[in-house]
Amino acid sequence: MRLGLVIDLDVCVGCHACAIACKEWNASGTTAPLTDYQPYGAEPSGVWFNRIRSYEVGEYPNNKTINFPMSCMHCEDADCVTVCPTGASYKRAEDGIVLVDQNKCMGCNYCSWACPYGARELDRESGTMKKCTLCVDRIYDLQIPIEERQPACVLTCPAHARMFGDLDDPGSAVSSVVRERGGYQLMPELGYNPTNHYLPVRKAKPIPTENLGKPGFKDKIKGIANRIVKR
Amino acid sequence: MHPAFSVIFFTVSSGAGFGLFALLYLMDLFGLDGGLPIEQKLVAGILALVLVAAGLTSSMFHLANPKNAWRAFSRFRTSWLSREGVFAMAFYPFAIIYLGLTWLVLPELEVLRLAAGAVAALLAWITIFSTGMIYGCLKTIRQWNSPLVPANYLALGHFTGALLLLAVASNSEVVLTSYVTLVLALLVVAAALKAIYYFWIASPGTGSTIKTATGFTRGTVRLLDTGHTHGTFLTQEFGFQGARKFSLILKVCVFIAGFAIPALILTLGGSVAIAIYAAVLTAFLGMVAERWLFFAEARHVINLYHGAQHC
Amino acid sequence: MNAIVKIENHDKQEIKFTTCYMCACRCGIKVTLEEDKVRFIQGNRNHPTNQGVLCAKGSAGIMKQYSAAKLRKPLLRKPGSERGDGEFVEIEWDEALEMLTERLGNIRATDPSKLAFFTGRDQMQALTGLWAQQFGTPNWAAHGGFCSVNMAAAGLYSIGFSFWEFGAPDWDYAKYFIMWGVAEDHSSNPIKIGLEKLKRHGGKFVSVNPVRTGYSAIADEWIPIKPGMDGLLALSVVHVLLSRELFDWEFLIRYTNCAWLVVDTPGQQGNGLFLRDEAGNPLVWDLEKKTFVNGLEKDIAPALFGDFVAPDGRPVRTVMSLTAERYLDDRYAPANVAEECGVPAETIERMALEMAHVAFKETVELDIEWTDSWGRKHDKVIGRPVAMYAMRGIAAHSNGFHACRAVHLIQMLLGALDGPGNFRARAPYPKPVPPHQLPENNLDVINAPNTPLSRTPLGFPMRPEDLVIDADGNPLRIDKAYSWEIPIASHGLMHMVITNATNHDPYAIDTLMLFMSNMAWNSTMNTKNVQDMLREKDPEEPGQHKIPFLVVVDAFHSEMVNFADLVLPDTTYLERYDTISLLDRPISEPDAAADAIRYPLIKLDRDVRPWQDVMVEMASRLKFPAFTNADGSRKFEDYKDFIVNYERSPGVGFLAGWRGKNGEKSLKGEPNPKQWEKYIENESFFAHHWPDSQKYNRFANKEYLDVAAEVGFVGKSEPIIMQVYSEPLQKFRLAGQGLYDGPQPNNQTDRERLAKYFDPLPLWYKPLEQARVDENEYPFFALTQRPMLMYHSWDSQNVWLRQILAQNYMYMNRGQAARMGLQDDDWIWVESHNGKIRCQMRTMEGTQENTVWTWNAIGKQGGAWGLKPNASEATKGFLLNHLISELLPAKQGERRITNSDPVTGQAAWFDLRVKITKAAPGEEGSWPEFPALKPLPWDDGKRPDTLRYSTRSDDKPSEQ
Repeated sequence: MRLGLVIDLDVCVGCHACAIACKEWNASGTTAPLTDYQPYGAEPSGVWFNRIRSYEVGEYPNNKTINFPMSCMHCEDADCVTVCPTGASYKRAEDGIVLVDQNKCMGCNYCSWACPYGARELDRESGTMKKCTLCVDRIYDLQIPIEERQPACVLTCPAHARMFGDLDDPGSAVSSVVRERGGYQLMPELGYNPTNHYLPVRKAKPIPTENLGKPGFKDKIKGIANRIVKR
Repeated sequence: MHPAFSVIFFTVSSGAGFGLFALLYLMDLFGLDGGLPIEQKLVAGILALVLVAAGLTSSMFHLANPKNAWRAFSRFRTSWLSREGVFAMAFYPFAIIYLGLTWLVLPELEVLRLAAGAVAALLAWITIFSTGMIYGCLKTIRQWNSPLVPANYLALGHFTGALLLLAVASNSEVVLTSYVTLVLALLVVAAALKAIYYFWIASPGTGSTIKTATGFTRGTVRLLDTGHTHGTFLTQEFGFQGARKFSLILKVCVFIAGFAIPALILTLGGSVAIAIYAAVLTAFLGMVAERWLFFAEARHVINLYHGAQHC
Repeated sequence: MNAIVKIENHDKQEIKFTTCYMCACRCGIKVTLEEDKVRFIQGNRNHPTNQGVLCAKGSAGIMKQYSAAKLRKPLLRKPGSERGDGEFVEIEWDEALEMLTERLGNIRATDPSKLAFFTGRDQMQALTGLWAQQFGTPNWAAHGGFCSVNMAAAGLYSIGFSFWEFGAPDWDYAKYFIMWGVAEDHSSNPIKIGLEKLKRHGGKFVSVNPVRTGYSAIADEWIPIKPGMDGLLALSVVHVLLSRELFDWEFLIRYTNCAWLVVDTPGQQGNGLFLRDEAGNPLVWDLEKKTFVNGLEKDIAPALFGDFVAPDGRPVRTVMSLTAERYLDDRYAPANVAEECGVPAETIERMALEMAHVAFKETVELDIEWTDSWGRKHDKVIGRPVAMYAMRGIAAHSNGFHACRAVHLIQMLLGALDGPGNFRARAPYPKPVPPHQLPENNLDVINAPNTPLSRTPLGFPMRPEDLVIDADGNPLRIDKAYSWEIPIASHGLMHMVITNATNHDPYAIDTLMLFMSNMAWNSTMNTKNVQDMLREKDPEEPGQHKIPFLVVVDAFHSEMVNFADLVLPDTTYLERYDTISLLDRPISEPDAAADAIRYPLIKLDRDVRPWQDVMVEMASRLKFPAFTNADGSRKFEDYKDFIVNYERSPGVGFLAGWRGKNGEKSLKGEPNPKQWEKYIENESFFAHHWPDSQKYNRFANKEYLDVAAEVGFVGKSEPIIMQVYSEPLQKFRLAGQGLYDGPQPNNQTDRERLAKYFDPLPLWYKPLEQARVDENEYPFFALTQRPMLMYHSWDSQNVWLRQILAQNYMYMNRGQAARMGLQDDDWIWVESHNGKIRCQMRTMEGTQENTVWTWNAIGKQGGAWGLKPNASEATKGFLLNHLISELLPAKQGERRITNSDPVTGQAAWFDLRVKITKAAPGEEGSWPEFPALKPLPWDDGKRPDTLRYSTRSDDKPSEQ
């Protein structure tokens, strides 16, 4: 099993709902709490697992704004795990989720150096590295209703731009949508083989505009034959 | 990358320490210019151990949760950072046996002494190599992901080690010519490698760009918003970007202070102790500048997501 | 090695359902609590509004609940201190309520109009309106006047429902969707859910917006229009549609007044009014009978086009003839509007043709039987799947009412309203056009002491007689709503209250009571001067302010609180009972009538009271008739009791679900003492799902209208005829022209405005401020919008949300900036006719070239909202409000006129024009600067350096 996310860039409006839902769930989750620095001060900051950036592609007026959420990609070849000296970072054999054992981490930041996607953030208060757990404490919690056993970000996404599932199973909804929509991985050249995939922007099919009336109705009005419409 | 002082000091200090030890051993083994007196061997050896220890201690300051530092030895099989720690620790017993036996002068144990020294020297080389590979193995940082990095670490460690060895030797009656020659030879190698490195990182990479990072292949891609007004761990850790002009000035410093002045001193001033100390001092200043640049010029690919067009 | 992750312990957790209040969407939320702390807030999957999803604000509700800005106790301005100095003493509730009762009692017993009660972004206008009515003051309104009244009024005077809460696009069937000027924070979850559905089905999404962020980011086509030109663009689309005969004959004849006949006698009384029979029915020309017939009759064949001569000899023309003549004029040809709109002519033409293609060639047919109001059975519902939505970008201009009418005109021409794939009505809408509800304007009633108004203060005037003015034509309301200056101000003009009250124009008031509105900061125009007005003393009454007593009701330490004489602290939304009522701003969806409640999930930890309860308490103390028994005793124990037992008309109360003695009735029925319990059992909402036969064409759907009449949504079951041509507007225009048989204005300015802007057909004119300032001197349009993750001023106090956005920038088109030598992070001066500000800029592609914009309400006064005085919101954030005047630039021979839509009084926020210059080196930080607010009595001003919020009780969670 290879659990991960598929993110649909065609419908992501950049609302940060996923980022906050993530923060909210994980503030009391397995690596709780997620420290906030200067919460009321000049330059607020904090530990987050999911950040949304926005890009502009092309130039005015043919520009497109694309919102781009990023969290841990749960890579197949996760260098963050390989480089971890303490064994705190690990990738689960049964579902591919990459986690950090908070009891083992020494806070050397090295895993974050190895991660190209910015998925790992150090909590200065606990001195440990924290990251997306794919809400491992939700998806396997049998006391949560089955339809809610999904990562908090997926559950909340108002545009349904986030999908969760097994990318190993060719029959899963996430695998199909990746096939159908040409889902892609980020920075494939680095060879991390990230599990998460991104669906590109769709191209709307053109709407025909031929054979729609004839110009010149203005000239017809005076002598117009009214249509009989009963009411 | 953020040039953290603890890591700069660590790599410079431990690199010099390991280099010094390895050269001490070689000098001892081959009896360079008749070999050093025992006292000087001990001074050089202890200096090496102190530098390594100081470096390792300094690296501890880099840890956010040092109470788990002992766990760093557990991932020897995959992690260069773990390997470095393991090799560095393994180095100590052998180095101490070697130095102890050197001090005690027990001819019946000479084979053991040399064997222990050989193992320690080997471990010293492997450790420097591991330090280089900590950086060299990262595919996320183009400026590091190259065999040039461990090669540089080895060359610079040996060059600074040789300088220290020369400095120690200058306190004895031994003829210094071969020590000076050794320093100059290593200096040339180190400077050449460093120059190659700088040329190499200056050429535009063919790797990741903002387009491969985002997958938007058509048209110009520009960052509109980072999603957080103020700094995050990512911008603090990876966002460092020194001014280009400053980097250039610093590079000149690396070559002048690190290589040119020591070379000049040693060629002209020869074997005057005070001149040698001056060479050591300026070389180490150069090394700190070199190491600062090593970090400051490294651009992690996460910066592509923060708007860099390429790294 | 694989560790086992420890699942959290649920033993001490409880799950409750309530309604979100982080914005105006009112989504259903499922709240997990752990020992009275909030563990998790998520969307309620069963709720009609959000269907399980939740936005950033909703999830960040936790940090609102634990905000450092929460008020803790009633406050009185410290005796001897100046208003606005922010020095307060804590007082007890009893003292506060006694003080207020005495003051309000005196006002009510003498001149009730001297109380002005205005409310902000609340969701309880049915209650606050009732309260004001019972008090007897006309001076009540909510914030609609500076928010969306142009949309509401345009819709309700045209189609019987409107954008925002009275309708929604049919995302399931729409194939073409145009969004006109919708800021990205608006209608948060429903729009996001809908856009994804639309795009998944392959529908095309077109966004008309000067800025490409948020929703517009995912548009298939972005049309970067110049601000204020939407109406012109829409009318050009109308031109294209008409010029090719691309309109729905059946729809126009059956469901609109296009065939009605208009008297065409320019310069004479009665010109432009409908030709009517003696009973007042509008007449049409029957093509078969060849005679004039009652246009409301069944089985007639009305002529859509034509000029006729009425039996009395007056020439008449059909509305459609007038419409065609007006918009087929070359003025509206795409080539002639392209430059003004900033949209190429080809694009306009293509937009119109694409709409027409989808409407007429990709028609949706559903096998649903329904019966029209004339009793005819149909076996299909036909949909012309073009949907539209519009909001602030159209509303916040002084030409927004007509711009919105122009958009409705397109919908009517296409026959694309309330059918499958259209913009569809949400119960209790549609209502008659306009709704039969007139504002109280009986002077005797208004002036009568201790007497309620006979009807609510707000309504929909039909003719000049309905204005709220005295015999001399002077306004009776403090905001001058329903006066000759602003005749159809159906939501009031909250943005004028402080200015008018300070100027004692039209009269002086005694007490201004503001609920949940930040009128001293981001919710007012001209902020700095408004703060000065609040401080202003009355030279004629020594020691007294121009506005003598200021009561502020809020849950948080806002900039407004700082100016209060009396502060009444409210609770958060998780701590109180509340109703989201069909009598108010409904949460219905097109397929279901719905309402909802809130109830306390968390115990109060401070001495605050829900404003609802305080209002019921005050109403009881002041003995409002609706709140008092015949024997003088109070009728309702508290808000909860009031909601259950109050009936607006028999069987109709605030909550529509589980009515009847045993909760067996829906929508209408006698009070049910267990109603709250039923709501709580049912996840805090009620939804009445319309059967298929009642889902579409409800303006003329007999089955639906029968139900609507029965439960009081409409007066009686009769077709709601859409008004392409608005006769009420024409009556006001006649008054302006001196041709009205009734009250007429004396003032020349008023006469001109009525004659010009009360056009019975949709009209475009240059926004008023733009017409008065030199466009060469002020070359840029300047706008604001809220980000999706924040709602007005509330969310900078939110520790999580402010990490995402703690400083706003002025955004400018990148190419434009380059031409001006400006670049990212430059500090710039932005100057309007009203003043100047200094702020930091950023460049982007997705901004129309003549436009600059910023996020609204990120800038804060230091020390407000629980933040440290050096928070970047205060030092670098800024408000555009300083540049916007509540008055139009002065004009010789004219009194100062409100900067609002001349029809509805909608605040014209977006009419602003500015010039931009680079700040000198060293000029940094936002300007103007304001002194930091003083901490409130309970606050030591200290704030922690870190926050580690968690409910995780099984400490050290980890793996083995």
